[in-house]
Amino acid sequence: MEENPRGWIHGDETAKAMLSRILTERPFLFLPPLHRVPLRVGNVVEIAGPSPSAKSQILLHAAVNCILPEEWKGIRFGGLGRMVMYFDLDCRFDVLRLSQILKHRIMEAYRSTNNTYWKEKGEHQKNDAPTTHMYLCDDELFLDCMRRFLYIRCYNSFEFLAALKAMHSHSQRESEALGVSVHFLMIDSIGAFYWMDRACQPMPIGGSKRKNVSLQSLAEAVVQEICKLLQMQPVLVLATKATIFGAGTSGNDAQRAFGKWCSEGKMDSRTSSREGEKLMYREYMPSSWQMKLYLVGNMEHFLRMHLNGCSLH
Amino acid sequence: MAESNEPQAKATASVSSSGNPTSSLSRVSKCPETLEEGKRSFSDDAGFARVQPMIEDWHQPWLNGVELLEDSNHNKHFLPTGYEGIDVLLGGGLCEGQLTEMVGPSSSGKTQVCLYSAALVADKHFGVVMFVDTCNSFSPKRIACIVDQLSSSFSGEAKERRLKRVMSNIFCHSVFDIFALLDVLHQLEFKLKQQVKSGDTKICLLIIDSISSLLTPVLGGKGSEGRLLMVSAGIILKKLANEYNISVLVTNHMVGGEGGILKPALGESWKSIPHVRLQLTRDQGSNICNVSILKHTFMATGRTAKFVIHSRSCSVQDGRGR
Repeated sequence: MEENPRGWIHGDETAKAMLSRILTERPFLFLPPLHRVPLRVGNVVEIAGPSPSAKSQILLHAAVNCILPEEWKGIRFGGLGRMVMYFDLDCRFDVLRLSQILKHRIMEAYRSTNNTYWKEKGEHQKNDAPTTHMYLCDDELFLDCMRRFLYIRCYNSFEFLAALKAMHSHSQRESEALGVSVHFLMIDSIGAFYWMDRACQPMPIGGSKRKNVSLQSLAEAVVQEICKLLQMQPVLVLATKATIFGAGTSGNDAQRAFGKWCSEGKMDSRTSSREGEKLMYREYMPSSWQMKLYLVGNMEHFLRMHLNGCSLH
Repeated sequence: MAESNEPQAKATASVSSSGNPTSSLSRVSKCPETLEEGKRSFSDDAGFARVQPMIEDWHQPWLNGVELLEDSNHNKHFLPTGYEGIDVLLGGGLCEGQLTEMVGPSSSGKTQVCLYSAALVADKHFGVVMFVDTCNSFSPKRIACIVDQLSSSFSGEAKERRLKRVMSNIFCHSVFDIFALLDVLHQLEFKLKQQVKSGDTKICLLIIDSISSLLTPVLGGKGSEGRLLMVSAGIILKKLANEYNISVLVTNHMVGGEGGILKPALGESWKSIPHVRLQLTRDQGSNICNVSILKHTFMATGRTAKFVIHSRSCSVQDGRGR
C-alpha cells in the first residue's frame, strides 16, 4: 500500500463543491402538474389514491410537458423535449387521451402567441392566416412529440421484470435515433399484479439453490432493477398506485413500514384507522432511494384543482 | 471477463431447457456489486447480447406514440349499441380494445342493451359476436324481435335469410362459475391465435352478461383467492380486447353501501379494471333509461344521456309456411 493515508482521509471534494455540482448536474424541476413539488432525476415518486382520483391524468399531463419541446418555430411551449418511457401495467392507457391533451396544449400555446402578437400590433381582429399556418405546423410538431413517447404493456410481473431489464438498451437505441435522452419512467399502477403475486406460493423452483418466487422476491427484484437503472441512467420515476381500503393484517404491516420511510407530515394523513393499504412491496424499498414522496388522497384534490386551472378539461 | 462468460454459459443452458422465464431471470438478475461491474455487464456485447433476444421474447414489443395512434385509427373502431343516447354519449359506441362495464340495479336495461348491440353488430357485418351468458338471460326470441324491427321494410324471404345470418353470427356460451369462464376465455385466446393466419370472420364483440354473478360468490372474506380470480379475468379480457381488437362488454349489479346508497358490486379492486364504466337507471314502469358515465378514458365523468327501450312484442315466424 503505497497510498498516502493522509490523502485518503482528505476526500475528493468538499460538501459545498459537491452540492453545487449536483445542483447543476441534476437541477430541481418544477413541471406542472407537479410544480408544487421540487423533483430531481433520481427521485422515485409514488402517487397513491383511491380509484377515481386523477392519478393517471397526472402522469399524462407530466408526460405531455416532457415531450413538448422548449421552443418550436418561434413559439414557446415550455416543455423539456425529452423522452418518456411508460410502463402500462394496468393496460388502461388510451392514446386518444394523450393526443387530446397534447393537441390542446399546442393549440393553447399558438393561441396565446397569437394574442400577444395582435395585442402588440394593436389590432382587434384576428385573420385566418396564422391559423392556417398553425395547422400546417401542427402535424409535424405533433408527430415529433409522439415519437418521444415510448410505451410498453405488461400482463404479469415477469413481463414487467423482463421489460425493465431490456429498458436500458432500448432507451439507448431510441436516444441515438432521436437525439434526446429519457427523463421520465412512468409506471401506471405498480400494484396491478399484487393479487397475482401474492398467490405465488413461496416454493423453490427446481432445487434449493435458486430464488423462490414469491411476492417478496418479485418485489425485491423489481426494486433492484429500478435501482440498477437509476445508476445507469438517471431518470425520474413516477408510479401510481390505487389504494384499496381493506381491513386486516396488511394495514398493520403497512403502518409499520411507513415509520421507516415517511416524513412526519405525511404520516399523519396516512394513519387514519380505516385505511389499510396493500403495499407489501414497499417494505422492501431499499434505503438507496434518494427521496420518496407520497401524494395521498387528500392531496389529490389539491392537485386536481391545479389541473383544472392549467388545462381546460 | 470471467463474470461475463458465466451468464453466457448459463444462457445457453437455459435455452435448451424448457425456457422457464423465472429460473433464467433469477440467474441473470444478480445485482452488480459496483457501478463499474454494472456498466460492464450492460455494455459487454458478448454477455448481454446473448441474453437480450431471449429477454425480448418475454415482454411485449416497445411502441411509440405514433405507432399507438396508427393502431388506434386503423384497428380500433366503434361498435354501435343501437341506442342513440348511449352511442352519442360514448362518442360512437363501444370501442374495440376497451373493456366497458355497465352497472345498474336489476331491470335497469343492461341485458336489453347487451342483446340489442349483439343483434346490431351481427346484422351490420362488423363481425362475430360471442355472448357469455351466466344467468340465462340470452333470449333468441328477443334477438329475432330486434332483427324484425331492423328489417321492417323487407319481404318475408329476405327477413328469414337475414335472421338466419344474424343468428349464425352470434355464439352463445353458458357458464355458471368463474373457472368455466376462465376456461372459455383461454380457449378463445388459443383459437384466435390460430385464426390470425386463416381469414375467417373474426370476433369483434364479447359480451359477458353479469360477470358479477360469477365473481361475487368467490369474493368476500379474508382470502385473496377471489380477488386473484377477478384480477386474472380482468387481465385476460383486456389482453383479448387489445391484441385481437375486440370490444368487451360486461355487466355488474349494485349492492347497498353506506347510508343505504347503492354502489356497484365487486369492490375497490375491480374499479381499476374496466376502461369505461356506465351506470344505468330506469324509473319504475317507464321505458326511458338514464345512462351516466362513471369513468371513461377520455370523456368527463358525470355526463348523462337517455335512451328508450322499445318492448313492443312481435310475432316471430317459425320458418314454416309463409
